[in-house]
Parts: sequence; structure tokens; C-alpha cells
Amino acid sequence: MRYLRIFLIHFHRVIENRSRSVVWTLLSIFNPLVYLCFWFAVYKSSGKVVGDLSLSELASYYLLLTFAGSLLMAHIDESVAEEDIYEGGLVKYIVRPFSYFWDLYFGELGWRIFQGGLSIIVFVIFSYFLHSLSHFVSSPILILLTLLSIILAYTLSFIFRMILGFTAFWVTEFRGVQNVAETIILVFAGFVVPLQFLPVFMQKISYILPFAYMIYYPILAIQGKLDFSQMVKVLSTQAVWIVLLSLLYQYMWRKGLKLFTGVGQ
Amino acid sequence: MPVISIDHLSKYYQVHKKEPGFVGSLKSLVARKYEVVKAVDDISFTIDEGEIIGFIGPNGAGKTTTLKCLSGLLYPTKGRVSVLGHTPFNRKAVFLKQISLVMGQKNQLWWDLPAMDTFLLNKEIYEIPKARFEEVVEDLATRLAVKDILHVPVRKLSLGQRMKMELIAALIHSPKVLFLDEPTIGLDVVMQQTIREFLKEYNEAYKATIILTSHYMGDVEALCKRVIVINFGKILYDGLLSDLVKEHAPYKVIKVVLSKKIDQEKLDSFGETRSLNYPEWEVRIKQKDANETAAKLLKELPVEDITIEDPQIEDVIAGFFVANKKN
Repeated sequence: MRYLRIFLIHFHRVIENRSRSVVWTLLSIFNPLVYLCFWFAVYKSSGKVVGDLSLSELASYYLLLTFAGSLLMAHIDESVAEEDIYEGGLVKYIVRPFSYFWDLYFGELGWRIFQGGLSIIVFVIFSYFLHSLSHFVSSPILILLTLLSIILAYTLSFIFRMILGFTAFWVTEFRGVQNVAETIILVFAGFVVPLQFLPVFMQKISYILPFAYMIYYPILAIQGKLDFSQMVKVLSTQAVWIVLLSLLYQYMWRKGLKLFTGVGQ
Repeated sequence: MPVISIDHLSKYYQVHKKEPGFVGSLKSLVARKYEVVKAVDDISFTIDEGEIIGFIGPNGAGKTTTLKCLSGLLYPTKGRVSVLGHTPFNRKAVFLKQISLVMGQKNQLWWDLPAMDTFLLNKEIYEIPKARFEEVVEDLATRLAVKDILHVPVRKLSLGQRMKMELIAALIHSPKVLFLDEPTIGLDVVMQQTIREFLKEYNEAYKATIILTSHYMGDVEALCKRVIVINFGKILYDGLLSDLVKEHAPYKVIKVVLSKKIDQEKLDSFGETRSLNYPEWEVRIKQKDANETAAKLLKELPVEDITIEDPQIEDVIAGFFVANKKN
């Protein structure tokens, strides 16, 4: 109950800042919609199917990408690195008897839920006009597993972003690290094209890395493209990544705190 | 039984040193040079329950580093730190629930929401029962006269009002030990006075131990009987503020209002002129000679008004640092 109350207080803040959420949601849907325009042109010139996907399926993918990007992709690394580590904002969290991780987890969750909710509206409107509303998971058990996969995807993305932010304990130019990470995520999470469109060797890399399990597989799950055994495999891989990244998180937190001097104080 | 005890505490930082210019940058790429900075170097002291201690020192003296070691922010390089029987750096919840750290240059309030929302978050974080929370907010808000602005967004409050809210947020869980780092920085004199009075009242009402660092000697003078003077990471003085002033201010200042102009040469014969802005004249006299000189002044000069004052505490401390630097 304590965690729920803390989440609700954070969520209240998100609602108070709703205009910020609207701006971020509009920004996050912009890229997928541009990609979609590109694919419309490709389909128009080359026929009805590209890479096993019909135009309607591809439209569904990119529209779900707007939703998944808003709901599942945490944006916490920059504030962890710059506000908390470089400017010393971490001080206020360290002297409080509450975990830094969970405080930020619930704070960010509020933003994701609100922005994810807003992007559903965009998703429904565009899907209606593009006739791509039919591609959804329908079996009750798969719906449950999909919901679980969404929670794990957010958690995975959150831990990864925290770790990315923690690099600021060691590097003085966080933006460089962030740019490299963003580029990798863009490609390997499926933000540019569905991963089956990538060359085979890149597909193999994407299956090894955690990014596909943050965005790409949850989208396939929502589209109902994963059967039970594939869902179990995705969920297991997500769980393994969460455990591995949690261990790395703990290690970096312990080591980083010893380096932290509370600069800017 | 002391609430705080520090035993041979040292905190060293490794700082990367680079020669200036392009060649220096290239050298630094190949072989980085590091220098060890001793922010705090082998200091020891104890503080009893309910004391208000002033930590005095110039910038970079080691005050804030000591405060950070005491509140668990920094891991000491050497030595032992105990606060309320806990090792601060372990940051156990039971310890953190009994302390609070206020940094005048940093805030914990949510900028975009009323301060009450931050108080509510702290209520959950510190697991304060509802009745106790309401009682403490009522008490602190009344003492600081901010009851009517508890629901105004923080961004719309003045600097002084925000500091008051920061204090409430920091005290909502009634900490036994309060660390204050420059709590009145940037505030006007009236607000500084209000905050000082509040801290004094809070100390008496809640029996809290308070450790304060401030560049405003007014804060220290108003609140702290005992001071710890620190510079270059070492403790230079630990004792009563009044004793420090007595020992290191061996002079008094005589302020005179003259009824007619007198040659400066003649005035200088009485002591060291600090300022002469006719008809006002300020002269510094050795403490033991103060009464005798004042009598002589009254006899030999056309004096309209005369006062004998102790020196400004800032001057005493500055003199103390200069003397210790020379040593």
C-alpha cells in the first residue's frame, strides 16, 4: 500500500504536468508516422507485400510503435546523469529511507502510463483511417501473458536507462554515451523497421541484445503474432535480462556511490 | 553519551591534474596524473544531544565534506563516524529516519506543485502516521507563518518562503539530528532572522541536535554556543564561541562623533584609525587600554558622542584564520 500511495502521489504530479505529456507524446509519435509514410510510398511502387507483411500489418506495427514507445520506453537516464549525478540532486534521495530505484520507478511509471494513454487515442484514430485495427491478440491466456510482457518490458527498459545514467559516475560527457545507446536502441528495438526486415546477421544480434524485448516483442505480442511457446520464451528472456541488468545495476550503484561527492552542493 | 562521535576521520579525493594547453591534453591522454586532496584530515570530536554546533571555515575548508560524512553521503577514507549509534554510510532506514540534511543551495520540493505534495510524499517515505503528520505540519507551518501558502505551487513562492517550506519538508519526520548547510544563503536579513529564531525554537521544542555550517556569522552567533573551526581539513578550534572571541579579539572598537574637525595625525596618536568620515571616526584600541583611551579621548577631543564596541565576529574569525595560516 505504501508503494501504491507513493505511485499515486507521483501520478498526481504527472496529471498536473499534462501539457508536458502531450508535447512528449506528439514527439514520440512523429518518427513512426514518418517511417509509415515512407512505407506507404514503397508499397505503392512495389506491390502488396514487403518482407511477409501486408501494408495493413505494417501500419499496425508502426502505430503500435507509437503506443509502445510512449508506454514502455523509460526516459530517465538523462535526469539521473545530469540532474542527480552531475548536479548533485542524488543527495536528496540518498538521505531518505526509501530506495532511489523505486522512487524513480514509480515516478517514471506515472509518466509512461499517462503518455501511453494519450498515444492510445492517436493509435485508435490513425488505425481507424488506415484500417489496421484488426491485428490484435485475442486469446485470454495470451492477453494475460502480453500484459505481463508489457510490465517486464517497462521494467527492463527502466533498469537499462538507470544503468545508462549511472555511467555518469565515471564519464564526464554523458551525452556521448547516450547518443551511442540511442542509436543502438533505435535499430535493435525495432524503432526504424520491424526486426525481420534487418539483414540476418543483424537479426541474430538483435535476439542476443535486450532491446528487442523492450519494444519489438511486446508489439508482436499485442498483434497476436506470438503463440504460447513463443510468449513463454519472450517472457523468460525478459526475466533473464532483468536479473542480469539488476545485478549490474547493484554493482554500479555500490561502486558509483563511493565515487559520488555530491558535487554542485 | 554523545549523539555524534567522529574519531580520526579523513576524507581524501583523487583529483586528475592536467598541464595547461594542447600538449598538456596529449600528455594527459598518455599518462594521467592524479593528486590526492585531503578534504578532511584526521579530525575528531563529539557532540551531545540537543547541542547546536556551528561549523566555521572558509570555502574548501572541509565543513561540507564533514557534514556529508556525518549524513552518510560520503564514504570516509579513514576513521570512524558514529551518529545515533549508527555508521552513516551504511544508510540503514532506521538511521535515515532520525536525521535530516538541509542544503541551502539544493531543494527537495517539487517546483511545479504546492509544498504540501512534497510533504505528503515524505509522509509516505518516512512512514509517518496521519495524525502525527497533521500535527507536525500544523506546528511547523504555524511557527514559520506559512499556513496560508501550503497549497500554493512552489514556483510562485519567494526565496524565503521556499526555504521555510524546505525546512518543513526536512523536519516532517521530527529528526533527532539535523544537518544544515548554509540554510540562510541568499536570504534577506529579516528572513535570516526568522529562520534563526525558528531553528532555536525547534531545537528547544524537539530537543534536536543541530550541526550548522554558514558563512553568515550572524547565524552562528545567534544559534551556537559551541563552534568548531576548520580549515585545510583540520580542526583549528573546538570550544565556546565566546572564548574564541575573547582569545582572538584582543581589541575593541571605539566609535566617536566629533563636534569639530581634528587633524588625522592627532587622531592616529590614540590608536589605529579604521575609518574617518567626519564627523564619524572609528579607532581600534587594545582591549586592555580601551577604558583608559576612551577617558583620554573625552578629555582631549571635542566629542559629541562615544561608544565602545566589541569587534565584528567576522573580523575575529578572519583574524583567526590569518593567524593560523601564518602559523
